[in-house]
Amino acid sequence: MDAVPAIRVVDLRKSFGALEVLRGVSFDVPRGSVVSMIGASGSGKSTLLRCINRLETPSAGEVYIDGEPMGGRLSDISRMRRDLGMVFQQFNLWPHMTVIGNVIEAPIRVRGMRRKEALALAEECLARVHLSEKGKEYPARLSGGQMQRVAIARALAMQPKAMLFDEPTSSLDPELTDEVLTVMRELASDGTTMIVVTHEMAFAREASDRVLFLHNGQIEEEGLPDQVFGAPRSERCRQFLSKKLQ
Amino acid sequence: MSNWERLVWNQRGLLWQGLTVTVEICLLAFALAIVGGLVLCLVRLHVRPLRPVAVALIEFFRATPIFVQLMWVNYVWPELFGWPNSFFTSGWVALGLQSSGYLAETFRAGIEAVPRGHREAGYSVGMSSFQVYRRIVLPETLLTVAPSIVNQFTVIVKSSTLVSVITVPDLMLQAMKLVNVWYEPIEVLTATAIIYIALVFLVSSAGKALADFHRRRFGLDSA
Repeated sequence: MDAVPAIRVVDLRKSFGALEVLRGVSFDVPRGSVVSMIGASGSGKSTLLRCINRLETPSAGEVYIDGEPMGGRLSDISRMRRDLGMVFQQFNLWPHMTVIGNVIEAPIRVRGMRRKEALALAEECLARVHLSEKGKEYPARLSGGQMQRVAIARALAMQPKAMLFDEPTSSLDPELTDEVLTVMRELASDGTTMIVVTHEMAFAREASDRVLFLHNGQIEEEGLPDQVFGAPRSERCRQFLSKKLQ
Repeated sequence: MSNWERLVWNQRGLLWQGLTVTVEICLLAFALAIVGGLVLCLVRLHVRPLRPVAVALIEFFRATPIFVQLMWVNYVWPELFGWPNSFFTSGWVALGLQSSGYLAETFRAGIEAVPRGHREAGYSVGMSSFQVYRRIVLPETLLTVAPSIVNQFTVIVKSSTLVSVITVPDLMLQAMKLVNVWYEPIEVLTATAIIYIALVFLVSSAGKALADFHRRRFGLDSA
């Protein structure tokens, strides 16, 4: 097994004023593995994800991407962010660009790819999210599920070392979550390194290699999915799961 | 021969001349307002040391009556700066400056209305702050505020009638000339009002059409 994990988080802490949101979180994400983060709202899951790609600046602790410490100058952070695809709860597609425009923007502007290559790449990425036919549409014309899949394609187009999903299905109607989860399952089985913050317990159980349960800014329980879901050691995790799985 | 024919139709050349001057002045003022408004807004938001200057200018342009500004640009600027050197220039500069104050605030509202997540999506694919601004924030802002910008043009059209007081030969001035020759105001002034209504209607319909289009295509509501 590979010695250097794709993502290593060491004793990460984050406070907003007096509020301590993360109180020392450490974990590894080996290359090609899927880590799901579950926990109640306010447990710090999203903040943790946002600290990994520096949309939030951690108060203390380190994040390593492929062994390289995340941080330093803004330009270094931007360079390292290329390798971390982020998918947001609110999709955050750019409304003034077509679907294709959204996908090729970063490869062209950030990676300096030629337009023709970028278009070919975009087609590939859109095929992976099953939206090949929507390239010329503007985001406003898509359903929530389609928007989120475009957002996934946009992140994939940067050919990142890892994908970060921040509650990707939480603002979708139940009938639209499946199409997004299907795409994510496919990515997972293709060997994409993923961290997934989610409330979809079935997905966390079936698709991930490891599950982290966060409580009050700390990892309260951690293990293989069957272990966390089947026989949680922590009382809080048991309570959380029994509420979720009712 | 009816008065309409004698006073309006037969004078159409003069009125047309006036109308072209009005349109020219409005277009120049509009261009100045957009450029000036954008500059004022960006300075206000992003150039910390010059922020008070930008705020003061915006407030000054918005708070002074257009008539005062016209006089000020026309009589004070040449003394202070040796410019403008024609009434025509004074006219569009004063009109443009006033609208630039309003547009600066419109732009600011538009920029602040760009959801934070849209910027974060840019940062998270590795774009620099400048790229995020140029490729995401500004285009999105321009689309949301475009209808409001067009509507500001109607304000310019209406205010432009005041340039006649500094003897710019616009539509209003030509109309008043005709009135003062025959002392028969009814037809000439009614016709003038109708021309302005038509102009303003044309522009505001364009603004509305643009807003509808942007809502349909981009899902953007105007700021």
